[in-house]
Amino acid sequence: MTATVDPITLAVVRGALETAQREMTLTLEKTGRSSVFNLAHDYSNALFDHFPEMILQGQDIPIHLGSLIPAMKCVAEYFGDDIQEGDVIYHNDPAYKGSHILDCCMYKPVFYQGELVFWSVCKGHLTDIGGPVPAGYNPDAKEIYAEGLRIPPVKLWERGKRREDVINLLLTNMRARRDQEGDINAQYGACRVGERNMIALLDKYGVDTVKACIAELKNAADQQMRSLVRSVPDGEYLGSALLEDAGHGFGEMEITAKVTVQGDNLHIEVQSPPQIPYFINSYEGNSMSGVYLGLMMFAQLPPPYNEGLYRCVTVDLGAKGTLCNAQEPAPHVNCTTTPMETLTDAVRMALEKAAPERVTASWGHASGINIAGIDPRSDEQYVTMVLASIISGAGATQVMDGWHACGPLSCFGALSSGDIELLEYAYPIIIHRYGLVQDSGGAGYHRGGSGTAWEVEPIGHEMTVIAFGEGRQIPTMGAAGAKNGLQDEKLGRLVVSGNGKEQVYRANTIVTINPGERVTNVNPGGGGYGDPFSRTIDAVLEDYRNGLVSLKGAELEYGVAIRPQDGSLDEAQTARLREQAHRHSA
Amino acid sequence: MRSKYRLGVDAGGTFTDFVLAEKTGDVRVFKSPSTPHDGTIAIKAGLAQISEALGESVESIIQQCDLCINGTTVALNALIEKKGAKVGLLCTAGHEDSIEIRLGHKEEGYRYDADFPPAHMIVPRHLRRPISGRVLVDGSEHTPLDEAAVREAVRYFKEEGVESVAISFVWAVRNPDHERRAREIVQEMMPGVFVCTGTEVDPQVREYTRTSTTVVNAYLSPVMRRYVERIDDYFRSLGVRHPVRYFQSNGGLSIGEAMQGRAVNAINSGPASAPQAGLYVAKPFDIDNVITVDMGGTSFDITLTKGGQTNLNKNIDFLRYRIGVPMIQVETLGAGGGSICQVDEYGMLQVGPESAGATPGPVCYGKGGTRPTVTDANLVLGYLNPDAVLGGTIRLDAEAALAAVRKHVAEPLGISVERAAYGISTIVNLNMVSGIRRVSIERGYDPRDFALVCAGGAGGMHITALAEEIGSNTVLVPKVASVFCAFGQIISDVRYNYMATEPMRLDGTANLDTLNMRFDDLEQRGTEHLQADGFAPEAISASRSAEMRYVGQIHECSVDIAGGVITPDRLATILADFHKRHEELYTYAEPHNPVELVNIETTLVGQVSKPPVRTLTPSGCTLSDALTETRPMLFDGEGHWVDTPVYAGERLDPGLLVEGPAVVEEPTTNIVVRPGWTLVLEPNNCYRITRNA
Repeated sequence: MTATVDPITLAVVRGALETAQREMTLTLEKTGRSSVFNLAHDYSNALFDHFPEMILQGQDIPIHLGSLIPAMKCVAEYFGDDIQEGDVIYHNDPAYKGSHILDCCMYKPVFYQGELVFWSVCKGHLTDIGGPVPAGYNPDAKEIYAEGLRIPPVKLWERGKRREDVINLLLTNMRARRDQEGDINAQYGACRVGERNMIALLDKYGVDTVKACIAELKNAADQQMRSLVRSVPDGEYLGSALLEDAGHGFGEMEITAKVTVQGDNLHIEVQSPPQIPYFINSYEGNSMSGVYLGLMMFAQLPPPYNEGLYRCVTVDLGAKGTLCNAQEPAPHVNCTTTPMETLTDAVRMALEKAAPERVTASWGHASGINIAGIDPRSDEQYVTMVLASIISGAGATQVMDGWHACGPLSCFGALSSGDIELLEYAYPIIIHRYGLVQDSGGAGYHRGGSGTAWEVEPIGHEMTVIAFGEGRQIPTMGAAGAKNGLQDEKLGRLVVSGNGKEQVYRANTIVTINPGERVTNVNPGGGGYGDPFSRTIDAVLEDYRNGLVSLKGAELEYGVAIRPQDGSLDEAQTARLREQAHRHSA
Repeated sequence: MRSKYRLGVDAGGTFTDFVLAEKTGDVRVFKSPSTPHDGTIAIKAGLAQISEALGESVESIIQQCDLCINGTTVALNALIEKKGAKVGLLCTAGHEDSIEIRLGHKEEGYRYDADFPPAHMIVPRHLRRPISGRVLVDGSEHTPLDEAAVREAVRYFKEEGVESVAISFVWAVRNPDHERRAREIVQEMMPGVFVCTGTEVDPQVREYTRTSTTVVNAYLSPVMRRYVERIDDYFRSLGVRHPVRYFQSNGGLSIGEAMQGRAVNAINSGPASAPQAGLYVAKPFDIDNVITVDMGGTSFDITLTKGGQTNLNKNIDFLRYRIGVPMIQVETLGAGGGSICQVDEYGMLQVGPESAGATPGPVCYGKGGTRPTVTDANLVLGYLNPDAVLGGTIRLDAEAALAAVRKHVAEPLGISVERAAYGISTIVNLNMVSGIRRVSIERGYDPRDFALVCAGGAGGMHITALAEEIGSNTVLVPKVASVFCAFGQIISDVRYNYMATEPMRLDGTANLDTLNMRFDDLEQRGTEHLQADGFAPEAISASRSAEMRYVGQIHECSVDIAGGVITPDRLATILADFHKRHEELYTYAEPHNPVELVNIETTLVGQVSKPPVRTLTPSGCTLSDALTETRPMLFDGEGHWVDTPVYAGERLDPGLLVEGPAVVEEPTTNIVVRPGWTLVLEPNNCYRITRNA
């Protein structure tokens, strides 16, 4: 590396940035008011420099982080030279490069001796943003205007003064006002903690040194990514993935990614069908998150993460007005999972074609629910996204089975589903089940991780359940010869039961249920890796013993025959099944 | 018989440390190699050494001890080596996977690492048996307990050879009837098998945390029981007067009987006595805000105590197991004298967490180490004596250290070897400062308000630099630094934590009678427990805390509250303290918004008398009598060598002022006094280093 910066100071600055980001995250977690913040960690923090380029991307939610890069630039440009010390800017609108309108982002410029040096940025999913459907997921919206409150860049604090009128305008439009107010305060606390840390750093080393170090950190990340890209043979690589019809009636759709590698440059070109009047259109900011996540899954680089990583990467999201490059008035609220996860799969799979030794199986996509109603204990309205309902299985890799309950892909293990007692304390519900789903992990030499089921019943009130996502028709993709023998078990679904009846939904829907009735939200397992008929028999027996694989699953998916009476192995039948399978494949 | 001694035995992974305090104030220190398969062997060996040194029989020494105290890593080792008992779990049907789902979260730091494995499961899924029966949030029974299912599950456990049973049901913390009944059935069907319930082990709201803690407890308690029985028997055979006390992770002592069923309370007891030692050392200076730092060969442990109250951790992941019970917050970093320095793929200098350990050890030990360590850098900087003979056998190889720093750090970075060595020291200090921030700033404390108390063989060389970084003005380095934790144990009190869940809004509707009753109940239980341990009423004290939050928040903020009846006026004070604490921690408060109480906690302490402090008297020596040599050393990254005096700590009289830059050499550690600092040996046998005004 060029010795423009003292390497010791460089390491110190790097550590200080990481500490600042970590302390921001801690503040949000401890003070957040809604369960989405304080239990589920559905928020992300980042620091930007004056350009503004991202100088530290934390290890929070991947869906947020990619979109922060274009959004920050868009917000700074919007205010131009009217960015003052003490300002705090708020924004959610996808037309200004936001992800979806529930993800509200706060941007606090950090001034030092009168000069704008950094931005302390905090993005989080509010539980409600107004509009006709609690929690914002409105499958009937034909336009973005029917989804909720759009917030273009607006100042909540101006030169240090809190603009009660503007904050009141926002809160007046939202359900469960106290939660939203608490979450906005928590974001403000996080931004201030970030600012406090950055100013201490500047006090110690001075603006010039810190800036030089940051430039060097971005260069280092750039070099890392470039050397990875250089190691991939030049050429064009295609990846594509299918998106199911989650209830819109337009049928299945294909998203493709073409990756062109030339030297140490990478160009990613996305193609997707025209946008549709259904809430799965993805605007630019959100699509960038999808592309970057696919890239990071492939690259598997160690931290630090900053915008330098993407300097050698150019992205073309396809024509305006398409699913992955949507424009007004396309409705979009579901976009952070659908179609983002399919886009991520397509990008990752294209890259993997260039480097087969890096192949991994797909992670389960999100199929989840929001719940809302009037809490009979307080007569107050409650609304929340149930993050526990989207925890799917992770994909298997070359070296191991997928993690159970670690998805969905879009969150990549960064979420936390929240303790069931804390959820029952916060909301008038009984959670009858939160557990792993048998046979849900994709079959493979390495098995995909199991998905989860979340079963709920309201107490003393009528509850609205709003479903979103997909993964209820097309199973998670396996890799390297993985093949499922069961189909339905691999899929997510929504089951409404009560009064002796049971109804299964495989599309997005809104249902209301009463005490005595239950909704079970099931989400998919991860994909398997490699030929399941060569999985070790011991591993299959162990899975059977642990109830992760059924008798039928063991036989159909893995060619392992087990005697139901005592769980012992039927060796002769197993040998026959496995031989048969190998003859077939040969 | 009059008591003459107090014995502390701290069984570490490598060595078992012995501290024998005499009533005269003398403290003697011994060491013997640990014997993990049977701890009594190491103890016998150590006691034999003590007996020889004192010319007195082992029995006689033990019989003259007022207390024998044992700190043990037996639970920790069983957890690390996965050698606990075979556990079966009875849990609420539908929730048998909570300990495997782990809230659906993958640990930070491994986000894009596809090969990071899932956490180890103490109880595999087939031994987690779902039991129908459900209690709701308000404690009411929704579904009765399915006793047949319990019996069926226990039959399965017996078939499977389960050795220990954990029971944890949803909301049992609000109504433990189902857990109690299930426990009776287990005891009836599996007599003699260890069994524990969630409400006994960790009575707080949070099913996953409670279940996980209970499972870990069931896993370790049978191991702990075997250990405690052996130790107790051995000491009884020597004629010990009081039961042996065991050290817990909460920083207090416990008797063996309590320890046998609560092994989870001992999993991180090793470093948990540091705060007591720190307070004891700082007391003569009227300091009760201390941060202790203990830097050995591979790790760096930090604790914080403010106003005599030590930071506790609850609900943390410890070795990837979620643990709810309170433990002293010990921030452990992979930063020690043996930490390896290298230039990473980004071209940046990294120090640790990889360590050269005892073998091969630092390059300068000449035992085959080739990669430079923090100790090698300190040698290059002149802080260590290049002619020193380590433990009487190893002569430090300064040239090899210099060459290694040059090859692995200076050349790849294109900087001078002096700058590289100073850089290593800077980076390791930075890592340690980041750890200190976690216990201080992240807990809402300003580290400038604290004295640093330094322990461990490697700490002395970094301590004034750390104090400069965090802005502390006082550093204390006790002469017992090398056995700091064993020392802390012999001056600790018996300490039990009692918790209860009592959710209520703290407004006009708050039922203060219930609250007062719950506190009284906890305190009464604790007092009875301590009295049964043999404490007189006047030696027992209680302190209270309440965990509160704004309505809608999930994470509580713990506030200490005074004892006595809580009246509406007192409640107003408690609320004001909560708002203040929230602001300290998170930059803002919401005084207009409602606050709710979640958990209450009482800590019962049985005070143990402290051995007297021996006071040093000057022998009339001057500073120059203690001077051994002058060595060039580096105190900045610019390569300015400074001729620096080196003093022999053993010849230094109390009261003499040593102006930095200087180094004081002790048998087990070197103390670097940076420019701008002054060291003095205080009469309580502790070095005090203060920043010059």
